Amino acid sequence: MNGPWVEKYRPQKLEDVVGQKHIIERLEKYVNEESMPNLMFTGPAGVGKTTSALALVKSVLGEYWRQNFLELNASDARGIETVRTNIKEFCRLKPVGTPFRIVFLDEVDNMTKDAQHALRREMEMYTKTVSFILSCNYSSKIIDPIQSRTAIFRFTPIKSEDIVNRLEYIAKEENFEYELPAIESIVYFAEGDMRKSINILQASASEGEKITEDSLYDVISKAKPKDITDMITKALSGDFMGARNLLREVMVLQGTSGEDMVNQIYQEISKRAFEDKMSSEVYIDLIESLAQTDFRIREGANPRIQLEALLAQFL
Amino acid sequence: MLWTEKYRPKSFKEVIGNAKQKKQVEEWVEQWQNNEPQPCLLLIGPAGTGKTSLAHIIAKEFSEYIELNASDKRSYDIIMNTIGESSSTQSLFGNSHKLIILDEIDGIHGTDDRGGTRAIGKIIKESKHPMIMMANDFYSKRLTSIKPKCLVIKINKVHTNSMNALLRKIAHTEGIQTDPEAIKALAKQSNGDMRSAINTLQVVVGSANRLTLEDLNHINKKDPRSTIFDGVGRVLKSKTFKNIKEAMRLEEDPTLVMEYIAENIPREYEKKHEIKKAYQMISKADLYFGRARSSRNYTYWRYASDFMGLGVSLAKDETYKKFTKMTGSMAFSLMGKSRGKRALRDRIAEKMSEKLHISQSIAISMFSQLEIIFQNDTMAYEIADYIGLDDEEIKRFRKKKIPKKVITAMEKKKAEIRKQKKENRNANIADNLFNPTNNKTKNKPSEEKGKKEEKKEINEEVKPTNENKEKQKKTNKNKTTEKNKGQRSLFDVDKKKNPEKKETPVRDKGQTSLFNF
Repeated sequence: MNGPWVEKYRPQKLEDVVGQKHIIERLEKYVNEESMPNLMFTGPAGVGKTTSALALVKSVLGEYWRQNFLELNASDARGIETVRTNIKEFCRLKPVGTPFRIVFLDEVDNMTKDAQHALRREMEMYTKTVSFILSCNYSSKIIDPIQSRTAIFRFTPIKSEDIVNRLEYIAKEENFEYELPAIESIVYFAEGDMRKSINILQASASEGEKITEDSLYDVISKAKPKDITDMITKALSGDFMGARNLLREVMVLQGTSGEDMVNQIYQEISKRAFEDKMSSEVYIDLIESLAQTDFRIREGANPRIQLEALLAQFL
Repeated sequence: MLWTEKYRPKSFKEVIGNAKQKKQVEEWVEQWQNNEPQPCLLLIGPAGTGKTSLAHIIAKEFSEYIELNASDKRSYDIIMNTIGESSSTQSLFGNSHKLIILDEIDGIHGTDDRGGTRAIGKIIKESKHPMIMMANDFYSKRLTSIKPKCLVIKINKVHTNSMNALLRKIAHTEGIQTDPEAIKALAKQSNGDMRSAINTLQVVVGSANRLTLEDLNHINKKDPRSTIFDGVGRVLKSKTFKNIKEAMRLEEDPTLVMEYIAENIPREYEKKHEIKKAYQMISKADLYFGRARSSRNYTYWRYASDFMGLGVSLAKDETYKKFTKMTGSMAFSLMGKSRGKRALRDRIAEKMSEKLHISQSIAISMFSQLEIIFQNDTMAYEIADYIGLDDEEIKRFRKKKIPKKVITAMEKKKAEIRKQKKENRNANIADNLFNPTNNKTKNKPSEEKGKKEEKKEINEEVKPTNENKEKQKKTNKNKTTEKNKGQRSLFDVDKKKNPEKKETPVRDKGQTSLFNF
């Protein structure tokens, strides 16, 4: 069946991938040459890394792609054990009907350093029979030996008009009405993230009426966690315990990641500064604290503790 | 003889500290002696503050008493048999009362002493005799049902000065040479626990009959590990270097200690800049715990310990003179309470992760949009069906079940599509089998692409039936000589530049089915 639109309208062929023209051209060469080096796709979320990888795999491996393809999401299965067992077992088997097999590892930057080193070994040992496609948001988090063993493709955010075109295409296929400014607003809110854009589009269309800017704002405000706004209001007004309780609820119950929290807090305080509800001086102070929090979380600190500390700086 | 027994107070006068509470108890006894029944007396306080002593002094005022303490098994039956019977009967000889003493009632075990708390509740209600109960933990859950029925008296820790005086008196009576500083230190380190202070005194003095600071240092404190709450309390209550450093010497997971300190910062500190500063220190401590973890260099822990200990303690302007109940980490208890919800969330995320090629954290970030999308019946069905969500998981996104009508309609549609695809495929195979020449004529570059794509899709979606496989194998056998060539062609599927290299669709078909069991 079709599933959510993000999946239904995921391009199946390289030539259909939106944006990333230069990258796609080079990838198509690999298809024609019937061989490919280890690849690394880096870039922000929702720009087509996974889609390109899947499309590439299907073209290169042809009809046997399922048997010769292993997909792992490194952020969910990121220990050394995964590399040692899953990948090794897969690599040890001979390709069936294809010259080589492909391992696709998504979000490699979430793998521990140790696991990355183990992975590097596997990449060396099976060069003849297995090609690796790695994808990550930040190539700087990947150890050098892996970077030097891969051809790196840097995916850039997709141009707004390209996303708009794609959304319009989907709208036509799905047969619903829309106002162009509403579509443009979706793209603005999603910040160049195709996955997010399509999700918002489907959410807006799910109400069964014509998508207007008004109905869109309605959907966006519904989908946006209101708790973040409340939490910041509480912290700024001096109710630290209240703010901290909300933070814990959002992070523990809803399972929002530290990274997402940082992003949402950034958006929220920017919005306040834009609407003149916050002075520039206060804004820049908060940004300084936020930047530090962001950095520390990425460095491996406990996101919840760091965000609690951030809230204290809002007092 | 144990000095703790030898010097146990014999009268109300000899009991030190807790003057107010003493008076209350005396009044209670007096009322009983005047034959005015009083509620059960519940003495709550830390160990070694004189609860048992008080109870025994009271016992002397009555003609007889029954005592049950923690070393006795205290299930419902045992309590009812030993105390229950006598509690509701009167003595033959007029006015005399029988005192019932129940020690350490917060230590009644949940399973071993089944029904113990219930028995106590019953006795309190029915007893015609005076009754005293003792407990350590004011907040114990076992006391919640008992407390409202009793006259609760909180016994406080004995003050260092009173303890000092008592220890000097004992030393004097025993004829021990003492260093006043050593007595002071002993009084201070026993932290209000008289029993432990007297015990320590007896042990340290031993046969030498003297007490010096040095002797005292050989014997460590009553419990070298202060509890995590003590440590946290000292960090928040004190500002002195030594005190804090000592407090941080806990045999607990230091990250847990950090959680506890962080939890209680806003409970103790009141000024905004104090909370700010204190949490900055927590953040730094956490950072170094993270660095220690990732680099496996655990010497970093000492910096973390200083940040979360001394750093937090110095964040306050001056110490607060108030009582703050230190609590465990609420974040942890929230995690405990929400285990079911989180398990459901993770189950859904795992399914989405597999089907949508995304990480679980991205899957979770899509939840808020799915909540909206799922309000649409058809979309809800399509997505739930694709991801493979069960009813409980669907309920996460929409309150109502997907209407039966929608489900049957969608299933019908699904079946139709499947049927159509199968027919298409069969027609194709039949076409290929019986009309190979027809294919060759079709094999023009312009048409080739479309044809191939269609076939590819069919192959992915539907696996061949047995019957078809048989047929395909036959065709395959007929052309075994060309097999090698055929295999190569598989990788040419999307090649547009050299279509003349390509095999006929018949070959592709046959090959695939061999590997597609």
